[in-house]
Amino acid sequence: MLISLNWLSDYVDLSDFSAEQVGELLSLHTAEVEGIEEVGAAIADVVIGEVLECDKHPDADKLSVTRVAYGSNEEVNVVCGAPNVRAGLKVAFAPVGSKLPGNLKIKKAKLRGVVSCGMICSERELEMSDEHGGILELPEDAPVGMPLVEYLDLQDFVIELDNKSLTHRPDLWGHYGFARELAAILGRELRPMELAEVAQEVAPSEPDGRFTIRIEDANSCRFYAGLEVSLDGAGGPSPKWMQRRLRAVGQRPIDLLVDLTNYLLLETGQPTHVFDRTKVRGDLIRVRRAEEGERLKTLDDQERELTNEDLLIADAEGGVALAGVMGGANSEVGDGTSTILLEAAHFAPTRVRRTAHRLSLRTEASSRFEKTLDPVGTWQAVERFVALLRQLRPEARVLGPARVAGSSAPDAVQLELDAVRTVELLGLPLSTDEVSSILRRLGFTVVAKGDQLTVDVPSWRSSKDVRKPIDLVEEVGRLAGYHRIDAQPLVAPIEAIPADPMRSLTRRLGQRLMGAHQAFESQGYTFLQRDWATWLDQRRESFVLVDNPVQDGVDLVRQDWVPSLLDQAAGNWRAVPTGSLFEIGKGYTPQGPGLPAQQRWLCVVLWQRIEDEHHGPGSSFGRARAVAEDLLRVAGVRWAAVPAAAEQLPGGGHPAQSLTYGNGAMLVSTVHPRVRAALDLTDAKLTVVRVDLEALLEAQGRSVSFQPPSKFPAIKCDIALALPANLSFAEIEVALRKAGGKSLVELELFDVYEEGSLAAQGQRSIAFHATLQAGDRTLTDKDEQRFLKKISEVAERLGGSLRS
Amino acid sequence: MRERLEELRGEGLAAVEVASTEDDLREVEVGLLGRKGGITAALKALGKLPPEERPLIGQLANEVKVAIQGAIDVKRSTLGQAALSAELSGEGFDATLPGPALPGGGQHPIQAITRELEDLFLSMGFRIADGPEVELEENNFDALNIPTDHPARESHDTIWITPESQRQGDGRGVVLRTHTSPVQVRALREYGAPLRVVAPGRVFRQEALDATHEHTFHQMEGLVVDKGVGVGHMLHAMNTLIEGVMGRKLETRLRPGFFPFVEPGFELDARCPFCQDGCSVCKGSRWIELMPGGLVHPHVLESAGVDSSEYSGYAFGLGLSRIVMLRYGIDDIRWFMSGSLDFLRQFPA
Repeated sequence: MLISLNWLSDYVDLSDFSAEQVGELLSLHTAEVEGIEEVGAAIADVVIGEVLECDKHPDADKLSVTRVAYGSNEEVNVVCGAPNVRAGLKVAFAPVGSKLPGNLKIKKAKLRGVVSCGMICSERELEMSDEHGGILELPEDAPVGMPLVEYLDLQDFVIELDNKSLTHRPDLWGHYGFARELAAILGRELRPMELAEVAQEVAPSEPDGRFTIRIEDANSCRFYAGLEVSLDGAGGPSPKWMQRRLRAVGQRPIDLLVDLTNYLLLETGQPTHVFDRTKVRGDLIRVRRAEEGERLKTLDDQERELTNEDLLIADAEGGVALAGVMGGANSEVGDGTSTILLEAAHFAPTRVRRTAHRLSLRTEASSRFEKTLDPVGTWQAVERFVALLRQLRPEARVLGPARVAGSSAPDAVQLELDAVRTVELLGLPLSTDEVSSILRRLGFTVVAKGDQLTVDVPSWRSSKDVRKPIDLVEEVGRLAGYHRIDAQPLVAPIEAIPADPMRSLTRRLGQRLMGAHQAFESQGYTFLQRDWATWLDQRRESFVLVDNPVQDGVDLVRQDWVPSLLDQAAGNWRAVPTGSLFEIGKGYTPQGPGLPAQQRWLCVVLWQRIEDEHHGPGSSFGRARAVAEDLLRVAGVRWAAVPAAAEQLPGGGHPAQSLTYGNGAMLVSTVHPRVRAALDLTDAKLTVVRVDLEALLEAQGRSVSFQPPSKFPAIKCDIALALPANLSFAEIEVALRKAGGKSLVELELFDVYEEGSLAAQGQRSIAFHATLQAGDRTLTDKDEQRFLKKISEVAERLGGSLRS
Repeated sequence: MRERLEELRGEGLAAVEVASTEDDLREVEVGLLGRKGGITAALKALGKLPPEERPLIGQLANEVKVAIQGAIDVKRSTLGQAALSAELSGEGFDATLPGPALPGGGQHPIQAITRELEDLFLSMGFRIADGPEVELEENNFDALNIPTDHPARESHDTIWITPESQRQGDGRGVVLRTHTSPVQVRALREYGAPLRVVAPGRVFRQEALDATHEHTFHQMEGLVVDKGVGVGHMLHAMNTLIEGVMGRKLETRLRPGFFPFVEPGFELDARCPFCQDGCSVCKGSRWIELMPGGLVHPHVLESAGVDSSEYSGYAFGLGLSRIVMLRYGIDDIRWFMSGSLDFLRQFPA
């Protein structure tokens, strides 16, 4: 929303404020200012010049060589191509070194051999209009050397406001609303808008010889006023002052009628529409819903297909305007228009917004109707229109009283306000009188009884945003100035915050992953592309689905965080061949109507090149398992590893390379080759750890219970066994621990060798560090021999041997 | 015997003289003075001498022993000094050689700041609350005073689970929450008043991705409800928060802002931390908009069963993603969800 300072000054005295100061006032009291621009800044260098001499260019038919004076004793030669250049003319002159719109810099130049020092400008070059037939001709008495901006009174400042900060303020969609706001802020007089007196009468529902109006959908149109005006052939352009204002706030002048309605809209915030009366067929204006599939060509020459949800202004034969959005091409005013039908109406915000949105046709009008305008302002727009028209075209004649349907009565809102509580909530030191006075400045009517105020809300605020006492608290606060509020610590009883075991668990696990396991915490999208269902071998229905995805085909809501981490691993893979990412958060699965089931997960993805893959404890899988079991240790949970049963394995898991813990609550798995192929990671080894955090928290054990260490020394020995390759490590470990009995306090795998001659015999070598220790005596060599003998027996029973 | 002792003295002192290491000295010491050494042997042989010679030879043997031991001690000390000086000289040692690589992991910057802020608010007696990212329309909109026909609910702003044809406008639809504010409603219903709570989390909007827009981003909601709570209290909490995130106090100001679930509503601006006289971050204004907030709308209190004539409250919504960008100078919001190690590696745990 662009606001012209000159325009505001019609209604409130701002002469002692700079544009920046006005912007600051609006920022602090009303709405967000995005920027301030000086109108005419682009042509600030242009001055008034006088053409002293004008001769034909010796080498070019269409060029003239002139001598231009533009200041005290400044005279230069200028080559000019305009047909209307002549000696004695006063012109807009851009000397060498000056700048013109479009960042054009004027330099000394040679045109067909003649030196030219500056440029005589057309209106288009000055961005004053589209006129480019010749140079701008200024009156004879224009003083040479004076800046053009000053001479033409072009100087203005335009304040840009953030539309989003105005959505709740229907009264601020025109200049007058801002003038009212500034008058209230500064405690100054608000000058009234000049209105014409226009008679009105209730429109009969059928024509009675004059045109009439019938509202057929009262929920969509509260009030509709129509007024016939004869222009008596007066068309043509609008006056310069009006064009300047329109241009300043970004509107291109078109012609008298279009400019007039635009001006009215930008001044009052109320959109109006003018029909060419002769093109409206018959005498009845119907405000009705469009039929399904009904068509209307709008003013932008687009053929629109309508639905029953759209509100239409129709004549005897069909649509003439899309209510609140855009007029129809069939009733457009033009040069030949002699009689107009002015429409000022109050349309329902949601209906206008839906239609504008469905057709992608957001207009100045529709964006205002969306705000729930003041119905009183609807009628005032008619009176202001006539006043402005009479000023521009005194010969125009209003034909009979306006006809109106519906009611322009405002919502009567009366509120009770406790001034003491108002001041307490705001934290501002205001007296009850000051509270009342602020409200009165804004146009509220206040009756005070002690600290209790009875407040009547003016029509321009009661249509939407001031409906409750708390809304008045806001009015008082912002006018007094929020920036005057002092920070104040809250005083409250000291009480312990209840423990949050989930938060402390996830923080510990996260720290451990980042610190000990060199993993990077990541954040991945909640949405997955639909192919993930196939890759994970899951039904699409097993996912929560997004109705309007941010990107086509990315409509699955992730169940856990493995897929997004795998996507990210794929993104990193070429540059970082070994790595690990993790994420802590929530996944979702459908569970009938209402909210889906939510589950908290910790997921880790580890990747490395297949060619770097080791066997045994150093393998990717071994690493993932070590990470998983370390997390269990940190959490204080004792869960044993069990090969994952098919029903516990998620779609992306590897059927033969998976372990679960705690009944499936934790999973360690190699990523399924199908997923690897889908992500184009065929030469990567990927493993995942996935933990159901609720289950882990549930299983958290009691705190550590201290065991005093043995006072007797330990014996350490290494054992290497050759064992059948098909025997799982878990089976071997159980047998060895059993054989070792109580005094085998540690058994740590340090090598697995699956190649060479042993492999040829179907065996592999497995090596451990073993630690023997007793609590009641020093173990001797004999104990070690006995242990090794038992191990040897176990190895033989398992079909292998003790190698050392 | 006397000659033998003198000989041993000569040999011993000479050997000490040439000894250049501790091992050499030790050899001399053991060879002459040890259990099987020459002088020890001489002393042991004293008994075989005539009694009149014993005192003299004995004295001489002792003198030789003392002399050699003395020489050894002196030499040992010299060698020790030399070795210490050699070690301390630093010769052959390059302290600038790097050690082995010890790669560490990293903390996502949004999570890092979230955790810092959680700790800050815990220290002020706030709870940390949580709500689902897939949320009921009612909690995300209705209970927050966002009317049924509000444009924010439409598909061009909100990401919906409930298909458009099945949306009844009865609050039972399911959306991806568009802000952390529904946690206000949940926390109030769960804990009632008085209440102090913050709720960090991810939120979702229909946005086309670019350097400053994401459809998935992070916010932190703050909510305080108690008797006599006013705007001054909100300003104090906001100031504390900004000092916590930015590491120093910044001048702040409140100005009007509009959000349906607060009344009055505010925007908090802070003095641009990057310049004195205008820069690209503050677009020349010297203020940057940091945080919306306001007094909790009575409708929100009432729909959570809190009596708004007795209690009042404030709420604020910090744009975590944005403030993390400011804090670390991150130029593009898309880094956050990229999972790129080029990004994540810059934020060590």
